[in-house]
Amino acid sequence: MKKFAKTLMSGVFAASLLAGCVSGNGGSSSGGEAEGGNQAEGGADNGELSIAVVPKLVGIPYFNASEKGANQAGEDLGVDVQYTGPTQADAAAQVKVVEDLISKNVDVIAIAPNDPASVDPVLKKAKDQGINVIDWDTPANKDLVEYSVKQIDDDVFGRHMAQKLVEAMGTEEGEIAILTGGLSAANLNLWIEAAQKEFDENYPGIKIVTEKIPTEEKQQVAYQKTLDLMKSYPNLKGILAVSTPAPLGAAQAVQEKGMQDKISVVGSALPTDSLPFLEDGSLDTAVLWDPGKLGALTVAVGKMIAEGEEITDGMEVEGVGQISVLEDGKSIIMGPPADFTKENAADFDF
Amino acid sequence: MKSIIKQKEFSIFMIVVLLCVVLSFVSPVFLTFENFLDIIEGNVVMAILAVGMTLVIITGDIDVSVAAATTAVAVIIGNLFSFLPDSWISILILFLIAPVIGIIIGAINGLLVSKIKIPAIVVTLGTLNIINGLVLYLTNGQYLNSSNFPKPFLTFANFEFLGIPILVYLLTAVAILTWFILKHTLIGRSVLAIGGKSQSAVRVGINYNKVKLFVFAYMGFLAGIAAIAQTAYTKAVDPNGLLGVEMMVIAAVVLGGTNIQGGRGSIQGTLLGVLLLAIMQNGMILAHIDTFWQKVVTGAIIVIAVSYDQISYRRQQAKLAKIEVEA
Repeated sequence: MKKFAKTLMSGVFAASLLAGCVSGNGGSSSGGEAEGGNQAEGGADNGELSIAVVPKLVGIPYFNASEKGANQAGEDLGVDVQYTGPTQADAAAQVKVVEDLISKNVDVIAIAPNDPASVDPVLKKAKDQGINVIDWDTPANKDLVEYSVKQIDDDVFGRHMAQKLVEAMGTEEGEIAILTGGLSAANLNLWIEAAQKEFDENYPGIKIVTEKIPTEEKQQVAYQKTLDLMKSYPNLKGILAVSTPAPLGAAQAVQEKGMQDKISVVGSALPTDSLPFLEDGSLDTAVLWDPGKLGALTVAVGKMIAEGEEITDGMEVEGVGQISVLEDGKSIIMGPPADFTKENAADFDF
Repeated sequence: MKSIIKQKEFSIFMIVVLLCVVLSFVSPVFLTFENFLDIIEGNVVMAILAVGMTLVIITGDIDVSVAAATTAVAVIIGNLFSFLPDSWISILILFLIAPVIGIIIGAINGLLVSKIKIPAIVVTLGTLNIINGLVLYLTNGQYLNSSNFPKPFLTFANFEFLGIPILVYLLTAVAILTWFILKHTLIGRSVLAIGGKSQSAVRVGINYNKVKLFVFAYMGFLAGIAAIAQTAYTKAVDPNGLLGVEMMVIAAVVLGGTNIQGGRGSIQGTLLGVLLLAIMQNGMILAHIDTFWQKVVTGAIIVIAVSYDQISYRRQQAKLAKIEVEA
């Protein structure tokens, strides 16, 4: 009797498994069809078009500002924007977020990957289910995304920061140091490479005293490293600080030691954070872009591809301005970098 | 009387001295008063937390929520600043409120560990996540700069007595207080006894729950003090600024000769552990060591220091087979 019950139970179990399989298949194929329908009719079957925007992490000023822009664009364009991401810059947690979005069957996923390699499989899965995949802020694997929304041309940005630093130093000769957020951050490395190229090609008098110095994305660490740098290289004339907290830390050190006139600091920082340092000249220029606009552009691009609209070089995007598309036909560049200085920093709200 | 050389802290002290000698040959600025003040002031927060962590680890427990608790208090006082008047009373209020909030957070950890008997690593991992989540939810990661800090606080933060910044005095006070508690009070001796052998300690009449509650609440108290120090040092409140610092704190305590399984440890040793980590970080740039090699060197020194300490401790233990309750 007992044996019979066991057999029966395992039979039922096996059957339910099989049934699960079958219905699973059915579900995904019908999902695929619905997706096809969506694309043709502009998401008419289930109301609004839904666009998921996944930042590297939520809860830091930069990504908060882009969230605002993305949500605003969602309202303006009449699409449903889901801005969701991990609470720490953690690749595994980000994969889970994308998994959830796939099961919610959104129309577009725009991702700023913490680690491009680790989101590869999940982006592939999304693509196979007919979800449009794009990246924003930080590039993902090129083969998997339809478009890459970039705030800036990395080369232009790096070179621009280098030029600003030379301008602030007022001389084309002298020792400088480079601070970075982390050694493995791909976009920071690209900017630094571009800046180094600019120094090599156009300012041979500039000497970079040591390899780029990591600051763990923390102001306090940047502050301490800058103090050490100033002691260690007494002739230091400039600091290029890449990643948003680094320029603040570097400027704080310069401010406290009263070295505003001797050492110039230029870096990528948000205007409201840098205001107290810009005011007394301890930070000379903060260079960045408007993260809100980046969020808005991401949503706009998401909407255009979901509706099958073509994106062309030089087209106007509402609320963002003129965009450019690079030769590869995939990379969309938002525009030139914005400089925040003593004069204009107070006008911004991010 | 044991000779100085026999003391546990001696091995770590020797490593610090050796490192200093090497660095002063490599860099002329290393052995200057100014540089040492920078090193100490820059690590006051870590040192205060490490002092509290020493007590927790001596009882055989661990508290991974310290950095989160410090951040929570810092965020609260940062937001309080806009309500405080521009007078010296603000500083007083600050020194009353911050430790109290810290004690509350610490006591919650302590109650869960002692009364419900959940392992401390589980409890504090939980509180770490709860606090981080709440802080992120409430602040949205918003960075607060010094523009809305009351003037007296900035004066306090920049205050120097005999050329030494106020934060260094704050650390000294914390270290002496904790050393005194550990060495000369009943509760302090109970901390060591419980860490040495908790069952025997309970049998001789030590109140296990009370001691556990005390170490976690005291850790919270110091997290409150550390929050003031952190805010004074950075002159800003960054909700993400202390992420991961608990690992450095635990590393410093273990480097300082505290046994991770409990029963052994001292405040002097912990301070030396912090100093070792701090000097290494400072020395890397001064010694012009390339960025990519800095991590290798840091890791190697930690491994060497801990192995050396362990080996010399084993040798001592082999000589005397008695239970150690010395601080």
